[in-house]
Amino acid sequence: MSARARQVAVAVGATALGAALVLGTLRRTDRLRAGRAVAALGRRTRRLRVERGMAALGLAARGGARYASSAPRLFAAAGEQREQLRNDLALQTAEDVAATLGTMKGVLMKLGQMASYVNDGLSPAARRTLSRLQDSVPPMTPALAAQVVTEELGMPPEQAFATWDPEPIAAASIGQVHRAITHDGRAVAVKVQYPGIAETIEADLGNVALMRRMLRIAAPSQDVDALLAELRERVTEELDYRKEARNQQMFADYYRGHPTIVVPEIIGELSTRRVVTSELAQGARFAELAGWSAAERDLAAETIYRFVFRSLYEAHAFNGDPHPGNYLFHGGGRVTFLDFGLVKYFTAEEMRPLAAMVKHLCLDNDPEAFRQAMEAAGFLVPGAPLPTEMIVEHMAVFYDTVRVRGPVTMTGDYASAVTRRFFDFRSPLAAYAAIPRSYVILQRINLGLFALLGDLSATADWRRIAEEIWPFFLGPPSTPMGAAEAAWKSRRGLVRPA
Amino acid sequence: MSGGTYADAAGLVERSAAAYAAAVPDQPEDDGYFGPASVTWRVSADLSAPVAGLRSLMLQALHPLAMAGVDQHSGWRRDPVGRLAATSAYTATVTYGDRASADRAARRVRAIHEHVRGVDTVTGLPYAAGDPALLLWVHAALVDSALAAIDLFGTPLPDADADRYVAEMAVAATLLGVPDAMVPPTVAALGQYIADTRPGLACTAAAAESMSYLLDPPGLDEEIAELWQDIRDATVAALPAWARDMYGYPAPPALSPLTPERRTEIRQTLGVLDAFFLSEPGVLEARQRLTVRMRG
Repeated sequence: MSARARQVAVAVGATALGAALVLGTLRRTDRLRAGRAVAALGRRTRRLRVERGMAALGLAARGGARYASSAPRLFAAAGEQREQLRNDLALQTAEDVAATLGTMKGVLMKLGQMASYVNDGLSPAARRTLSRLQDSVPPMTPALAAQVVTEELGMPPEQAFATWDPEPIAAASIGQVHRAITHDGRAVAVKVQYPGIAETIEADLGNVALMRRMLRIAAPSQDVDALLAELRERVTEELDYRKEARNQQMFADYYRGHPTIVVPEIIGELSTRRVVTSELAQGARFAELAGWSAAERDLAAETIYRFVFRSLYEAHAFNGDPHPGNYLFHGGGRVTFLDFGLVKYFTAEEMRPLAAMVKHLCLDNDPEAFRQAMEAAGFLVPGAPLPTEMIVEHMAVFYDTVRVRGPVTMTGDYASAVTRRFFDFRSPLAAYAAIPRSYVILQRINLGLFALLGDLSATADWRRIAEEIWPFFLGPPSTPMGAAEAAWKSRRGLVRPA
Repeated sequence: MSGGTYADAAGLVERSAAAYAAAVPDQPEDDGYFGPASVTWRVSADLSAPVAGLRSLMLQALHPLAMAGVDQHSGWRRDPVGRLAATSAYTATVTYGDRASADRAARRVRAIHEHVRGVDTVTGLPYAAGDPALLLWVHAALVDSALAAIDLFGTPLPDADADRYVAEMAVAATLLGVPDAMVPPTVAALGQYIADTRPGLACTAAAAESMSYLLDPPGLDEEIAELWQDIRDATVAALPAWARDMYGYPAPPALSPLTPERRTEIRQTLGVLDAFFLSEPGVLEARQRLTVRMRG
C-alpha cells in the first residue's frame, strides 16, 4: 500500500477558527515512514476521542463527506429531480403552493435544507421525511411564475426582460430559477419565489411548541432551542430575497476583479422581495470536477478555501451554505459562487477570540492563552475543573491542517462511518462546553467546506495559505494564486479591518 | 371473542400508508364510482382526513350492535392496526379504485360480514354485520365525520358541495348492501337520520375501551405519538356534544371554544402528520397519480 493511500485521520478545520470543528480525513502526500504510520494510528485514536468531546459540545462534528456526496439533498439542489417531474404536476395556483408547502411542510423542508447542521443527529425517520418532502415539490407553471414576476416588477416578464425563458432551469430556495436577457443585453438568472410561501412559512414558524416537539424527535442529540432559534432566524431571512440580494452584492463588491473568485452581480432594479435577478453564470458543476485533472481540482479547492477564510477574516462574513450546487467551475481555479441566502456576519468582537484561538494554538503554542480565548468566546465555562492539557488535546486536532506545514490531501470517505460508531456524549468536557449561538453556523465549515474539499481530494499547503490570510500573520503569497490575489488586493486598495 | 388486551399500535402510519398507496390504481379501467371531478376525491385528500377517520370510528362505536360485531369478530384487539389498515385499504379502494376493484373489495367485505353474527351481551340483541341498519349507521358516521372534520380543520365545503358529497357517498353504502332508498341523500337528511338513530346509541364498555385505546394508543412510533395528542383533541372537539357526553369526555379545555389560533395549530399538526404519511413508500407517487387525473 502506498504511503499516499494510507489514511490519516486529521481534523481539518480551523485555519481560522477554533470553533471550526471539522473532521475530514486526510491523506498526507508526503511519504510516511513506518514510524510515522504508527503515529498516524495514534492520531486517529486521538481524533476519535476529540470527536466525542466535540459531540458533547453539541456540534456532532463528524465526517462531512456525506454532505457533499449523499447526505442531505438540499432544496436548492433538487433541480435535477424536479426537472424530471412531469409538467402536469406543476403548481398552477397559490392554492397549490399552499397545499404543497403550507401547514408546516415548507418549514419542514427548510429544516431539511438545514439538515447539514444536524446531519448525523437526524433520526432515520426524520431524514426520510425531509428528503421525501423535497421530492414532493413540483415547479410552478410558467403562468404562475410569470404572475409572481408581474406582481413584483409591475409588468409581465416578457416586458420586464428582453427575453424570458418560461421554463425554469432549476429549483431554488422556496422558488425556482428562470433564465432571461435584460433590455441592456445581460444574460441573467431570475429567482422567483412561490406565491404565498412567505406568509405560510412565517405563520408556521410561529408554532414553536410543535417545532420543538418535532426537533426533539428529529434531532435528539442536538440543542433543540438553539437549533430552533437558528432555524427561525435563517428561514425568516430567506423569505425576503432582498436580504440575499444585499448579501450577494456585498460579496460581489468585495471580490470584484479577484483573479479566481467570481460572484455574479445583482441587478438591483429587477430585484424585489420575491424576485431576485443576478448575472447568469455558466460553468461546470461540482460533479463534473471528478473528470478534471488533480491539478485543476486542487486549484478549484484553493479558491474555495481562500474565499471562505478571506470572507470570514476580512469581510467578517460567512456564507453558510457551502453546498456543491452553489459553485460553478471554470478551470484555472476560477470559481463562481452562487446562493447567498444564508450569510452570517460577525462583529469584530465575535471574530477576535476565534482568531486568538488559532494564534495561541498554532503560532504561539500557548495552551493557557488558548484556553482563555475559548472561555472568552463562550465555548468553555471559565474555571471548569479540567486540566488545560486535556482541553487542548481535545481541541488541537481541529487545527491539524494548519498546525502542520507541507502539502496535505483532504479525503472525506472515512470519517463518518467510524465516528458514528464512536459517537459518545460522555466526554468530561460536555458539562462545561457550549457553542454560543452566533458561532453555530460555523459548523458548516465542517459539514460543507471540508467535505467538499475532501470530495475533491484536494491537496495544498493549507497552513501557508492560512498564513496569508491570518490577520495576525499576513504571510507572503505561498502559491501563484496567492500572488495574483496579493496583486488584486493592492490594486483594490483593500485594507483589513482593525 | 371480546375481552383481552389490545396489541400496541406500532406501524399505524406505515400500514395505513401502504394500504393507501396500493389502493390508488396505476392504470384504472375507469374512474370508479366517484372520479376526479367528484367532491369525494377532494374530501378524501383533505388534510383533515385523519380527524374524520377517528371521529367516524368514535361515532360508529356508539352503536352497540356495530361495536359488538367489531369487538367479537374482527380481531380488533389482537391486531388493531391491521384492522384499521384494512379499513383504510377498503375505503381507499372504493374511493379511488376502478369499478371492478371497488366491486371486488365490496364483495369480499360482504362475504366476511356473512360470518359476523352473534348476540350483543349488553343489549341481549342479536346482530348481523350485513344488517343494512348497522351498515347505514357506519356509513352515516363516516360521511358526517368527513363533513365535520373538513369544516373545522380542513378547507370547508360550500353547502352545495357538502350536499353533493353526501349524495355521491350513497353508493359506498349500497355497495355493502344498504338499499339505496334507505341512504340519506342530503346533509339535512343525514342530520335527521342521525338524530333519529341517537336513542338507540350507547357507550358500551367495549366502545369505551376501544375508544380510549384509539385516543391514546400505546406503542405508537415516537414521532406520531407526539402528534397524536393534537389529533385526539381535534377529534374530541369535532364530535357532536351528545356523543362527547356519552363517552363522558369533557370538551378539551384548550378547544372550547376552538379559537382560530388553536385551529391553526391543529392544522399544523395535521400537516406534519401528513408529511410523515407522504414520506412512506409509494404515497407521493399515489398522490401524483391522483393529481394528474384530477387535473384531467
